[in-house]
Amino acid sequence: MTSSTPSAAAVMIEARGVEKWYPNGFQALRGVDLTVHQGEVVVIMGPSGSGKSTFIRTFNALEAFQKGSITVDGMALSDDVRNIDAIRREVGMVFQQFNLFPHLTVLQNLTLAPVLVRRRPRREVERQALDLLERVGIHEQAHKYPGQLSGGQQQRVAIARSLCMEPRIMLFDEPTSALDPEMVQEVLEVMQELARDGMTMVVVTHELRFARRVASRVVLMADGEVVEEAPPEQFFTNPRHERSRQFLSQIR
Amino acid sequence: MNTPGSSPLQRLRRELFASPLDGLISLLLIGFLLAVGLAVLRWMLFQAQWAVIQANSTLFAVGRYPVDQQWRLWLLTSLLALASGLSWGLLRRLPHPGPAWPRNDRLAVGLLIALAVVAPLALQLQASVQLRWWLITASLITSRWAAGRWGQAIPPALRRWIPLIWPLLYLAGMVLISGGLGLVSVPPSEWGGLLLTLLTASFAILLCFPLGVLLALGRRSELPLLRGASVLYIEFIRGAPLITLLFLGQNILGFLLPGGLAPDRVWRAAWVLTFFAAAYVAEAVRSGLAALPPGQLEAARSLGLPMPLALIHVVLPQALRVALPATVGQFISLLQDTTLLSLIGLLDLLGTARTVMANPAFLGKNGEVYLVLAVLFWCCCAALGLGSRALEHRLNPLSSPAQA
Repeated sequence: MTSSTPSAAAVMIEARGVEKWYPNGFQALRGVDLTVHQGEVVVIMGPSGSGKSTFIRTFNALEAFQKGSITVDGMALSDDVRNIDAIRREVGMVFQQFNLFPHLTVLQNLTLAPVLVRRRPRREVERQALDLLERVGIHEQAHKYPGQLSGGQQQRVAIARSLCMEPRIMLFDEPTSALDPEMVQEVLEVMQELARDGMTMVVVTHELRFARRVASRVVLMADGEVVEEAPPEQFFTNPRHERSRQFLSQIR
Repeated sequence: MNTPGSSPLQRLRRELFASPLDGLISLLLIGFLLAVGLAVLRWMLFQAQWAVIQANSTLFAVGRYPVDQQWRLWLLTSLLALASGLSWGLLRRLPHPGPAWPRNDRLAVGLLIALAVVAPLALQLQASVQLRWWLITASLITSRWAAGRWGQAIPPALRRWIPLIWPLLYLAGMVLISGGLGLVSVPPSEWGGLLLTLLTASFAILLCFPLGVLLALGRRSELPLLRGASVLYIEFIRGAPLITLLFLGQNILGFLLPGGLAPDRVWRAAWVLTFFAAAYVAEAVRSGLAALPPGQLEAARSLGLPMPLALIHVVLPQALRVALPATVGQFISLLQDTTLLSLIGLLDLLGTARTVMANPAFLGKNGEVYLVLAVLFWCCCAALGLGSRALEHRLNPLSSPAQA
């Protein structure tokens, strides 16, 4: 999938003029626009406090917003609980802190939501879960508890847990930021493979190599606004905005 | 346990007499404990007159429960012994079999047998009562052994239903105690002693727990009215002494409800205990909820789980495990709080004791009575504490042996 023909693919996420204030009056998002097409991998970068995590957390209503509109997979986000739950079923999310359920085994972590929410038979879900664990390379740990795995393994389980719901979109909120350096690669490889299989992904990350190799577009956010949006080659070699150049010089 | 090459004597030396100061402290403590122990023992064996306990053992156990109906209580005790043995054995063997008889279990069985032999002799019970006591102990140990031996042969589909025997047994126990379904009715005013204490305490413990969980969830709710009401309730109850609430319950419920509809005095007290303990359990559960990282709920919700399912499957299992020690501590003080029932004129253990001591025939035998009471309460509370520690250990996913 190349970014030259996005208009042919269906629009998966459409955010228009999203604004968010925190209760203390701080404005975290100042009218953000973003369109993500099916099969695209959009990487969002930016200094801390720029609102990038807040922004992708509005896509599955983990954060509320006050102005603007967001449409996910054809469903407009509203306050209605049933609408929110419907969107969450189609949108997987991977967190910085993994957030695996420590009281359940790896396999139970994967099967919990499909059995309870999609009401699929447990046997079938377990088979699919084992396949997914094999895909992320940890099927022999299926009956261990999350606390017995390394950080990289836990994050791969978290990715498999989201995939087990068969989402149409995957959101990654700094998925490698809490990992020891030697474990970053194993997680990025899983994400890369996922992108190759055509999953629509929005990724908040500071991993330049991942962005270069996998992203269809890179979006730079600062102070609650989108500063620049460009294909990776252009963004990394010839950014148009001063703010982008400044940010790139800081993280290189 | 034993480091290589250390005899018990060497260990004793290392632990008690490592330095001159340690040795001095140890000697003083040993001397003090010996003196106190000998004094208590001398009093118990030579000075105390246990006739007051021997003559009133039935009164202490069940109060004025009609003699010709007491077989129902014996039946209930046997059923409880069987169920306890079954659960005990299964908890030890499932889902991962450990050793058949761990050290603690051997210790517990030894204690049970010692109790079964010593207690009836010390109380000079009739032969028939002695025999029943021994049979009940034997059935408890036998069902523990059988459950441990064959527990794993039970098909998993059936195993899931086994915990249900406890609520069923509780309901059956209520019928057995109070009558109905063809049994002669025994009104609560005739219950007493240990029976009344355990009945009110177990009733309050069982009901205050779900109530406390709901209150804790209410206190953290996003609905302002629900949150406000929960806070108001919890803070009001925690600000009032239990004894005033008990008196309030006796008086107000009588005025509010037309005659005959108000529950019996015993049940009024049991409900007040329940409502009282629920506020404290709510605070314990709230601390468990607060200890949970917010990411857990976010992860559950982002997987599409609606709030109730997320609470049941993700939040509460973790929060309640954290809250368990504090909650059991609450249960233990609730058990002890039942002694306040004697102040509103009910004949619980303490109430029964007071009537016995008021009897001129047993004048001045307070020491004997209070000692027995203290030991009885200690036994009940120790059992609760031990059970909770076993549960805590079992609920910790990283401590199950087969997983390591």
